[in-house]
Amino acid sequence: MPGPIDYSKITITPDFDTVEWWMATKEHKYLVRQCKDCGHKWFPPFPACNTCNSMDLGWFETAGTGVLHSYIVVTQPILGAFVEAVPYVVGLIELDDCHEADGSLVRVGGVMLDDEEDVAIGLPVSVEYEQTNEANIVVPRWKISGTAENTWKFNE
Amino acid sequence: MGALTDKYCIVGVGETPHMRPSNRTTLSMACEAVKKAMADAGLEPRDIDGMTSYQAGDSTTSNHIATSLGMRLNYSVDILGGGSSTEALIGNTIGLLEAGYCKTMVIFRSMNGRSGRRMGGQAPSGPVPPTRAAEDNQFMMPWGWTSPAQRFGMSAMRYLRDTGTTTRSLAEIAVAHRYHASLNPKAVMRHPITIEDHQNSRWVVKPLRLLDCCLETDVSACLIVTSRERAYDLRQPPVFIMGGTGRTMAPNAAWNYSRPEIHYVAGNYGRKRLFGMAGISQKDVNLISCYDAFTFTTLIQLEAYGFCGKGEAGEFVKGGRLQIDHELPSNLSGGHLSEGYTHGVSMVIENVRQLRHRADDACPGWAEGKHSYDRQAGCRQVKDARIAACLGWGTETMSSSAILRGISA
Repeated sequence: MPGPIDYSKITITPDFDTVEWWMATKEHKYLVRQCKDCGHKWFPPFPACNTCNSMDLGWFETAGTGVLHSYIVVTQPILGAFVEAVPYVVGLIELDDCHEADGSLVRVGGVMLDDEEDVAIGLPVSVEYEQTNEANIVVPRWKISGTAENTWKFNE
Repeated sequence: MGALTDKYCIVGVGETPHMRPSNRTTLSMACEAVKKAMADAGLEPRDIDGMTSYQAGDSTTSNHIATSLGMRLNYSVDILGGGSSTEALIGNTIGLLEAGYCKTMVIFRSMNGRSGRRMGGQAPSGPVPPTRAAEDNQFMMPWGWTSPAQRFGMSAMRYLRDTGTTTRSLAEIAVAHRYHASLNPKAVMRHPITIEDHQNSRWVVKPLRLLDCCLETDVSACLIVTSRERAYDLRQPPVFIMGGTGRTMAPNAAWNYSRPEIHYVAGNYGRKRLFGMAGISQKDVNLISCYDAFTFTTLIQLEAYGFCGKGEAGEFVKGGRLQIDHELPSNLSGGHLSEGYTHGVSMVIENVRQLRHRADDACPGWAEGKHSYDRQAGCRQVKDARIAACLGWGTETMSSSAILRGISA
């Protein structure tokens, strides 16, 4: 598991389009935007549906599960918050329940709880919530949750 | 062919030395770069009546340069942007000149990219104020996913997985561009490197190593564009603008990561427009500048702009294909990996010098177009430089480009 992340060194500023998303993470819900007119889902929560252009929008509560689509291993910290965390893995997670008939899908990022050795593209992952050292901020983290066939690992 | 193909020319180029640090203002550096480009073209301040630039909130603006150098401009606009801007502004400039907004136009970038605002992020040493995570950054920065290396690394990793490419192909690009830098007296990093040097360099963010990442330097660089009728009377052989694209987007441009293939980059959507407007094919291109913020950005753009097939770039670059005297010499100045970092202007400048047959190398007669083609003696001139493609990169989902030709093409 990577070292601690000092969230006091990041000021997250929710805005008109995102404040409900950040409130939901405090209730351990992983939301994506959903169009009330056509049902399309997307993330980050841009303020209009790029399928039908409706701005009558709601939220879809995902199961918080997905498949690791790609990842990076950060060995050199850029932000003060992550100085103690390196090396850490950022995963790109393809959410299980956001696939649509036209091929549309949703992928989101997040810091893995797993070490590099345990991570591979194609593995299933699930969300966990981390209360940060900022009382008001809960962040989703991701953890390998099982095994799969045809996984791929960067071995260099 | 485009309606304006070959009608406008790049007639002057200039830049300050790449420094780390410059100990100068971006205004001071920009004045020097513009003066050098005017001298290169044989133009006076009174001849310049248009100016445009791009920046990241880190630079001076056109009105300050005009005031400093005694110009009165008929058109000036400074935009925000990074690595996809140079060729996009060339496009803007053609339109403005054609419409009569001005007659002769400067394009510049001036940045203390090492000592001022660093694109890769500031080193987190000592007390630093909390970093503000707003807008899209709310969904990247809190996961420690911020710098260009970290962002593009995600797409690079998936590319390696999908195509079976290894980082030895990335090394080929680092080696080729460094070899060219070794022939460029202006380059910051001039000692040649090997594939093993690349493989042994430290990780920055897997799958990218130190030698996959560009330099950060303090520099200003400048181009001057005018009509071909004016160009004929100026000091240098004109370099004609055949065609281009400006910040062409892939779908879902503000969130690359939910696209079916995160490494199917924006150049794929600009390719036909670029070559259609220029009226040529990839086979007609003698040299390229292929934006090398990272080795991976060069690699993936070779596919995007059709120099090789999809998924084939890893094989394509092997055997030194991107090196001078080989099939498709790339970034003859050494590029951002090895010459220095200008957010793209320096790559276009190098192509202009190559197409004039006046690469500023170790050949005593380079300024008159006399070259030995002896690489051991430091000659950097591509022998048959007639047509150059400039392939700019902003992100996976945004790219600009231009095709230039010299008078012999």
